Amino acid sequence: MVHALQRAGRRLSPGGMLISLRPHRRWRPTVAITAPGYRLPIARLVNPAFEGNLRSADSALDRVVDEGWFTAAGTRSSRYRIFLQRPSQMRTYLELINPPRPRFPPGGRARLFALWNSAPPGARIEVTEYLVITVLRRR
Amino acid sequence: MSYDQVLSAYPRDGLELRLIERFTSLRNKRVLEIGCGDGRLTLQYAPVASSVLAFDPDRASIEEAAWQQADRGIDNVDFRVGSIEQLADRGARFDVALFSWSL
Repeated sequence: MVHALQRAGRRLSPGGMLISLRPHRRWRPTVAITAPGYRLPIARLVNPAFEGNLRSADSALDRVVDEGWFTAAGTRSSRYRIFLQRPSQMRTYLELINPPRPRFPPGGRARLFALWNSAPPGARIEVTEYLVITVLRRR
Repeated sequence: MSYDQVLSAYPRDGLELRLIERFTSLRNKRVLEIGCGDGRLTLQYAPVASSVLAFDPDRASIEEAAWQQADRGIDNVDFRVGSIEQLADRGARFDVALFSWSL
């Protein structure tokens, strides 16, 4: 990753911007059952292998700043939500994500199915994903 | 809920660009994008950019991106199969390098 950032830096104009958009390292995806006036948290998805990749990305961005390639221009976090109509769509959703894919923690999927059965009419499954943008400026 | 919304794990169009625009505009910029996938984000900002060189190692994704580009009549994006390793150290400069969901 450091090498890729350096290579991009070589082709950036002085003052040019390097932008990294990626999943947030600490705020991992969460799953909840929602309906108007109702929100029941189910689980936080886990992905240990991917979290290692995210740590490496954070370290690489820090390193190219420390090495003087770039100056830090800022970072900002955001989130977005995906709504699913029923639990069976969770499998499809997870399969859309490039490996290594997140998964439910032990018992999480069973909890989703169990609590879905008692959810109010019109309930949906809400997946909240978090992202972070880091912007560096080429020296 | 539309089929597309169910089948995307990415944000709705516009969210990422709003985040980027808090720091810089892509208008009239020469953009290098690494990890463009099927061009989902690329084709959102390409209409305002000066030019875009976009890489992804997945050939099927690049083929989809190129199809989408043609379908939308966008002609300032050069989609290529590969990674940043294929980018020569010397050559035309870019104003922005965007690592989009690539680690």
